[in-house]
Amino acid sequence: MTLESRYDAIVVGAGHNGLTAAAYMARAGMNVLVVEKNDWIGGAAVSRSLHDGWTYSNCSYVCSLLRREIARDLDLPKYGLQVIPYEGGASFTRDGDHFAYYSDHNALRREMARHSARDADAYRAYSQAIMRQCRFIRPFLLRDAPDPASLRPRDLGELAYLVKKAHGLGSRELGETLKFWTMSIGDFLDEHFENDLIKAHLAGSGIIGTGLGVYSPGTAYVLLHHYMGDIDGGIGAWGFARGGMGAISNAIAASFKDHGGTIHTGAGVEKILSKDGRVQGVALEDGKVFYAPVVASNMDIKRTIQHHVDTDDLPQDFTKAVNNFKIRGSSAKLNISLDQFPDFPAAPEHTSFLRGDMHVSESLFELERAYDDWKDGRWSEKPYIDMLIPSQIDPTMAPTGAHMMTVFVQYAPYDLNIDGNRSADNWTDAQRNAMAETVLNQISVACPDIRDRVVHMEVRSPLEIEREVGLTEGNIFQGELTFDQLFFNRPVPGWSQYSLPIKGLYLCGSSAHPGGGVMGAPGANAARAILRHETRHGRMKGYAA
Amino acid sequence: MSNYDAIVVGGGINGLIAGAVLGRKGKKVCIIEKAGSFGGMASYAVDGGPSLAHALYNLSPLALKDTGIDADHATLTGQQIDTVSLSSDGNHIAFKEGRVYWNDGTEHPQSQAWRELTHRLKTYGGLLRQLAEAPPPGGHSASLSRARFAEMLRLAKLGVGLKKLGKTEMRRFLQVVLSNVYDIVLDDLPDGPVAGMLAADAIRGAATGPRSPGTVFNLIYRLGHGGTITRPAGGMTAVVDALVEAARAAGCTMLHETEVSRILVDEDAVTGVLTADGQTLNAPMVLSNVASPLTCKLTGPSVFDIETTRRIRNIRARGTAAKVNLRLKDASPLPGLKDELKGARLIYAPSAAYVETAFNPAKYREMSKAPVIEAIRTELPDGSHWLSAIVQYAPSDIEGGWTQSALDQLTQLTIDTLDRAVPGLRDHIVGTQTITPDQIQAATGAPGGHWHHAEMSLDQLLTLRPSNGTSRYAFGPKGLFLCGAATHPGGDVMGLAGRNAALTALEALK
Amino acid sequence: MSNFVDPKLGLIPGPFHTKLAEQNRARSWYDWAGYAAPGILDSMEFEYFALRNQSSLFDISPMHKYRLAGPDAVEMLNRLVTRDVRKIKKGRVGYAVWCDEEGYVIDDGTLFHLADDDWRLCCQEPMLTWLHDGAWGFDVAIKDETHDIASLSLQGPTSFAVLEAAGLDIAHLKPFDMIQVEPDLMISRTGFTGDLGYELWCDWGKAEALWDRIWQAGTHQGLRAIGYEAVNIARIEAGFLTAGVDFQPVHATERLHRGQTPFELGLGWLVHFDKGHFNGRRALLSKQHTPRSLLIRCDVEGFKPAQGALIYNGRKREVGHITSGIWSPTAKKNIALAHVRMPDAQRASKLKTEIYTLEEGKWDTRMARLTPVTDAFFAPLRARATPPART
Repeated sequence: MTLESRYDAIVVGAGHNGLTAAAYMARAGMNVLVVEKNDWIGGAAVSRSLHDGWTYSNCSYVCSLLRREIARDLDLPKYGLQVIPYEGGASFTRDGDHFAYYSDHNALRREMARHSARDADAYRAYSQAIMRQCRFIRPFLLRDAPDPASLRPRDLGELAYLVKKAHGLGSRELGETLKFWTMSIGDFLDEHFENDLIKAHLAGSGIIGTGLGVYSPGTAYVLLHHYMGDIDGGIGAWGFARGGMGAISNAIAASFKDHGGTIHTGAGVEKILSKDGRVQGVALEDGKVFYAPVVASNMDIKRTIQHHVDTDDLPQDFTKAVNNFKIRGSSAKLNISLDQFPDFPAAPEHTSFLRGDMHVSESLFELERAYDDWKDGRWSEKPYIDMLIPSQIDPTMAPTGAHMMTVFVQYAPYDLNIDGNRSADNWTDAQRNAMAETVLNQISVACPDIRDRVVHMEVRSPLEIEREVGLTEGNIFQGELTFDQLFFNRPVPGWSQYSLPIKGLYLCGSSAHPGGGVMGAPGANAARAILRHETRHGRMKGYAA
Repeated sequence: MSNYDAIVVGGGINGLIAGAVLGRKGKKVCIIEKAGSFGGMASYAVDGGPSLAHALYNLSPLALKDTGIDADHATLTGQQIDTVSLSSDGNHIAFKEGRVYWNDGTEHPQSQAWRELTHRLKTYGGLLRQLAEAPPPGGHSASLSRARFAEMLRLAKLGVGLKKLGKTEMRRFLQVVLSNVYDIVLDDLPDGPVAGMLAADAIRGAATGPRSPGTVFNLIYRLGHGGTITRPAGGMTAVVDALVEAARAAGCTMLHETEVSRILVDEDAVTGVLTADGQTLNAPMVLSNVASPLTCKLTGPSVFDIETTRRIRNIRARGTAAKVNLRLKDASPLPGLKDELKGARLIYAPSAAYVETAFNPAKYREMSKAPVIEAIRTELPDGSHWLSAIVQYAPSDIEGGWTQSALDQLTQLTIDTLDRAVPGLRDHIVGTQTITPDQIQAATGAPGGHWHHAEMSLDQLLTLRPSNGTSRYAFGPKGLFLCGAATHPGGDVMGLAGRNAALTALEALK
Repeated sequence: MSNFVDPKLGLIPGPFHTKLAEQNRARSWYDWAGYAAPGILDSMEFEYFALRNQSSLFDISPMHKYRLAGPDAVEMLNRLVTRDVRKIKKGRVGYAVWCDEEGYVIDDGTLFHLADDDWRLCCQEPMLTWLHDGAWGFDVAIKDETHDIASLSLQGPTSFAVLEAAGLDIAHLKPFDMIQVEPDLMISRTGFTGDLGYELWCDWGKAEALWDRIWQAGTHQGLRAIGYEAVNIARIEAGFLTAGVDFQPVHATERLHRGQTPFELGLGWLVHFDKGHFNGRRALLSKQHTPRSLLIRCDVEGFKPAQGALIYNGRKREVGHITSGIWSPTAKKNIALAHVRMPDAQRASKLKTEIYTLEEGKWDTRMARLTPVTDAFFAPLRARATPPART
């Protein structure tokens, strides 16, 4: 049976960006449908209960980047979103020591001085440099990236804004900015610090989600990408969404529905329909067809173009650029139900920093070697892990007394190398379990009793992330965050402003500027572009984003 | 006591060119070189072996012109050489006249793709050359000055050049130039010796691997003067001789075996130099061809701001290229190589992935167990035959230091690697010389023995070269300028750094 | 959830903590570089009057102290700070500021010329990285003595008498002199109050003994332990600047263009262009005659302290703000330090400041005229007399 229905706009994929775009459009008075292949919404910002009593943030697991403008525009707290910052963090070492990252700056300085007095002092200059970069970049997140090859007034205007901001830095700071944007996080840290453990602790944000090593140029920017968010104005602070990351998607969805939006779950898009270079609507896998003059795809650019549209009608250089878009799976995830709080023998009793992000990498070389393993198609022998126990702060995540642990793993390849054959099909259960053992070994550096605490464990290789969420190769940013794929190059040169070569088709996910993370900016920016191009009134009136 | 208008410290390629350019502008110049002969790193050789640099591909015609050397100078035109990417199965691949051939002379299936890719990169190189031929943009000169006007004009020209590419190509340029060579090459070519050759060219002399973002720039830089590779007639020594001759003709006083022990500064302006043998040479302008940390030692750190010295210390310059000279028993051709390719540039880089893997150990201060090699056959004036090889990666700061056994291991790895592709080569070798980056540093002063005195990475280019705030050659006190490879646009027996520095110095002290 | 307690969190005790805690009836501690420092011990007002009328004891141990020793110490310091340190003789202390490459003040502090090639820098901001950066290429060893050296500031008209009673002979000490009076005790005639006063320096471990000795000696001199709030009034009266309040130490600012040159802070007299290169010299040469704003001292009309108030030229045009403003109990004036944009700072006759008042639930504003003054608001002769008076 074919059910036919007509909308002003259809959003493909109910990830947080798709929902954000949909919510803005609905508030502008459009009749919007969101279609989602899974039975649940959220994409990678999702909370699911896979073991009775425990809730996992299955994919993304902490929150900071979500633009506060969007939270306010869409009234998300009214729809149930509550974000709580977490404090501190730590890196544990194999010899039983640790470096604790206290949120209290005095305690942090004293703890740094315990490892290196010079580093404790140098941390000031380091954070000043990072903060300056954050302040510089933040205004660009909710603006379009100008097309440098275009002479349209809008592009020239955006370019002029960029030049004005850059000029405002002054020549010295502009130089420092250019350098920061092009250097590696390893080199940046080496310039400031001497202690391996401190450097390793700070370096993690430079590689999370990316197919680059700590010494690859451009990773300082990746670090910035993780620092440029805020919680209640505290730049660089991270927190938990109460109820898991799905709470963010759920709040956006509720805001959307409250303004007349419709969400259709359980059937993926088979095809984005177009005729004479103009989008018509979508045909779903279950046979349903929906029509609309505007379709916004929350899928990554590769999935959108390669699998769901007729490429025959597209410009060849565009499809070639899409095919060459780099979207490499490099991360895995473990979600663990714990029967009780695990033992951290190296930590002072009842310390606060266990409520933050915990790691076990001891040096930049160790992190770089982890990257070498990945280049060869193997998961890292000593992966970087970003481990948190959100149930300490969020009582909704686990039964009383029990806990939930989320462990992000860098690096794990998508095309696993078995005896020289590299293929995603190599991710058998046995391989997945072997990877989980590697990760548990890493965790046990911090908590040796981890294996005794496990009640249930979800192991997600890049392949699972791709299969469930639809992220190509399991890349969490819908595309590498390298210079050649950022700003006006994102996703591909000439198409950085959300529209695609089929009229009425837009990209609203992290493949678009400004990129990945639970930020919402691509969704909001895409909605702005759609309203400008496709509606008569043309503006997102009264909204900050 | 002698008085000059300008003193050049260090008689390497850039120092000679800077001196000659100033001399031709009517300045009384003295070029001072510590070693017994001029030429610095380019012509550095051990025990009569081949020089460090063994081919020309980037020597700037503009720098030559301003030096007073005819671009058609017999030495420089020399002999064009082709490139061969060696294959272990003996089916070597030859690159000649813009096409790719199998060993049997048939055209390689990747010929067209390679041709298009290199053509595009050469076009980009031509555009970027405009930037190389002047100080980097973003100077502090007042908004209405002539220099400022010239800079605006240059940027406008670059803009027009970009515009001429067309929208699509212009956008692609802005993407490609920021990308890594591994991805850009493998987008168009399957991985193999053709891709490997491009990857190897992109990382030569650098402490980086093909997967590192920014490496396409290095390849474009190499192709900035068209990409033709020339073996100079009479070798690199003849090139240096031509430059020395040009400097003399320009009226420069040439002092060799003279060490500068101090650059003299008074009232925040240079006044000259003091030599190790106690001479004071006066000049209101000193151009230093030695890297900034050494220059800083010659003046004393007091004359610089603390931020400047901190940035200087943070300049990355890890040399990773060793020179292994293999002495051949006679003129007989190497096994498996066709006669017409006898003098070709041989590359051992069977794939881009191989090059990346070779880079891995260098990150951890170890040498590559399977190195990337560029080798050129040379006959020296004394009639000896050599295979002059540049071997990567052999980091200057190798763990445990370059002991004799480490040197032996590197030599052996080089021979083993080449012998795999050219079986029987081993039997032609009658002697070896291995020169590691730390030796190069000791002999020439180049930091880390690095070819460019400072890594050519995006964060150390243009206005950031050699460091933020010192990119326009002026360095601290009035009258002091840097003119070496660490400055914009970089090294590579190119000469533009010296030429730009000389012209900038003239403008500044007018 | 369990109740989290972390031993590393919170403020830590300084060397005089036991002594201060005994006296801290107000239980008012504030964070000074991570140490628990008293804001008020019992009453700000009476602590202040003890300072100006008798003598006062204030713990300044949290100040950052760095030892710079080696053959190149003078050369290194002369590149670091703007004044010519060669003129600070052995046994003397000098006030100095130092700038970044753009000529903006990083911090101010005092330089103690302890012995040949041996100096101590005492300042508010942490400076270890900067000193190491500044020492590159010099034969100078740098040691962070912040947590090794304890120090007390003894200030007020009877401070000399207190030391005398403690058996310390320092009658000959002129302002900015210092002396190693005993193997474990150094005394400098310095301070942050503009009054007669001394600073006492000893090993961290010997701090309490020093306190007891001075305390005992002060019995008949009206000696009183005081907190920072009383000191703050005194230093504004003396016209001294506080980092982070009256100027923004440029290394501590996240926002761009917050830095100020010594000329803008009225510290041009500390810049010696004729001594050779020093950090920021080239920038300062080009900026010395074009300050963007000036830090001025002014007398504020009326009686309401003007802390934080905006300054207007004429009616509407905002031209600056008050950085520190108090009622001076000694000068009997309403005084302030203010940043005023150029050129308005030099045409000060029309300057007015808008003071917000809250009086028992009623907010109001009043415009008060500002009268610039050139000298310190309070500069008693006793501060400079040598030998000093006992009362």
